[in-house]
Amino acid sequence: MEAVKNAFDFGDMPRSELGLAAAALAFLLWFPAMPHSSFGMATMIQFLMFSLYGMGWNLIGGYGGQVDLGKAQYVGIGAYTTAVMMIRWDVPFWFSMPVGMALAVGWSFIIGYPLFRLKGHYFAIATIATSLVLKDLFEVWDFVGGARGLEIPMKGDMPNWLYLQFREDYYYYYILLGMFLIGLIYMNGFRHSRLGYQLRAIKDNEHVARSLGIDVHWSKIKAYAVATAYVAMVGSFHACYNFNIEPEDTMSLDLSVLIAMMAMLGGAGSMWGPIIGAAILVPMKNYLGSWLGGQAGFAGMDLAMYGLIIMVIAAAQPRGVYGIVEAVRARRR
Amino acid sequence: MALLQVNNVTKRFGGLVANHEVSFQVDQDEVVGLIGPNGAGKTTLFNCIAGFYPLTSGNVVFDGENITGLSDFQVARLGLARTFQIFQASGDLKVVENVMVGSFMRTSSRGGAREVALEVMDFLGIVDTAGEMMTELPVAAQKRVALATALASDPKLLLLDEVGAGLNPSEIDGLIELLQRVHGERGVALLLTEHVLEMVMKLSHRVIVLESGRKIAEGEPATVVKDPEVVRAYLGDHYVKRQKENGDA
Repeated sequence: MEAVKNAFDFGDMPRSELGLAAAALAFLLWFPAMPHSSFGMATMIQFLMFSLYGMGWNLIGGYGGQVDLGKAQYVGIGAYTTAVMMIRWDVPFWFSMPVGMALAVGWSFIIGYPLFRLKGHYFAIATIATSLVLKDLFEVWDFVGGARGLEIPMKGDMPNWLYLQFREDYYYYYILLGMFLIGLIYMNGFRHSRLGYQLRAIKDNEHVARSLGIDVHWSKIKAYAVATAYVAMVGSFHACYNFNIEPEDTMSLDLSVLIAMMAMLGGAGSMWGPIIGAAILVPMKNYLGSWLGGQAGFAGMDLAMYGLIIMVIAAAQPRGVYGIVEAVRARRR
Repeated sequence: MALLQVNNVTKRFGGLVANHEVSFQVDQDEVVGLIGPNGAGKTTLFNCIAGFYPLTSGNVVFDGENITGLSDFQVARLGLARTFQIFQASGDLKVVENVMVGSFMRTSSRGGAREVALEVMDFLGIVDTAGEMMTELPVAAQKRVALATALASDPKLLLLDEVGAGLNPSEIDGLIELLQRVHGERGVALLLTEHVLEMVMKLSHRVIVLESGRKIAEGEPATVVKDPEVVRAYLGDHYVKRQKENGDA
């Protein structure tokens, strides 16, 4: 099983990175045992969610080099599939999650086929458009609760592993951490796969890639499908964790932009980039954002700050925080 | 049977005729040079053969299969590889990973792709650069990596577009020797365009001359350079007249 071997092969990474990753993993595993506030726990859960969203975004936005601002539509499909199946047919999370992923991937093929005929800004705009159209449709669709959304009722006693209903947040945390680790290891395998190499060749130069027998259009669609699976998986989780979902919080443009921004801030096209980005921006959003909006009386100031961050990244280091690390390392050699 | 048959290929861009009724063949055991002054349509012809441009009329047969109308990546999979005039160094990939993109055309296994890449790089004498980043290499070495990447896809025919451009005379000598080995030891047929005439003359068994999109001469290198049509195309009418007056022609 070469694919499995590739997934666990971290040999091409610098020792220092692996050391840091191990320390971070130890922290993540121990976190619930440390003293923490419930707001701190919620922030950690959001960090894991956005790390996974970012990993998905990174496949096309980073490795593939095409900026995607429509990831929220797949969060929505995942979340709604799980919620609808749970409410109407009592289907457990572990069955509805794969179904949500499959539906989202199916949708990604349908829109990916025309979308990947577009390049640059046009692609980015088209991803925004499809996402917003889907959101508008959900807002008027009574079957999924319209603009008011859906609320998942309690399914018997807690802890309920089948429907992911827990009183304590650390259950959610560990389930999500499991998804995070699987996602990370799968991503490492993807990086080493034929499609992973081909995507990076496409990002470099599509003409050269085509001359090496790569079907550029189809490769992008395939990578987009994998990216979608990541995002929809977390979307399904989000429905159970939040108990209620509505189009505004699962499919908004804000969410799409936030996903893209975290991955870009951390470092598009690198394995750790989306995780670094989420580790910086999620706490900032939660702590600084709520402080600015609450005590300091500057509601909306955090949004202005995101804009500033995007501009600074674009101008100073397009490869984000991880790009700075790489630049420093290259200079030392 | 010929490996590559180009039959009456015409390519028009609006009113501009870039290639007009061009026909020629390349055999499996041949090195063929395609020369002509600037703007003669050499690169366009390459792009037509490789499936990068659709033909206006005519057809191209490769290895017994009509490849007219196939996409460039489909043509590549049949064993027709190419290198580009302007080579862009990859910022993201290490040298060996870059070459692996070529070998991934024939295998989906990472280990297998790596093995083929290293073998080809060893053959071309660049295996010691495997771990470096593309951007750190000098131009001559980058060109060898591009060549290695194309060879790693195990082609039957390799189209080389101006591989000698930007190299100094000693680097050109090295490249000539290398390409002779690629042809002799790996059995890859070569079709090359070149500004550096010396290179084409030393390498090619046969030379085809294009001018303004038309084929004006074909034959052994030594004969073709003396052809009055070819001299005129390169040097102008005056030179042909003067040659006649001096009794050279």
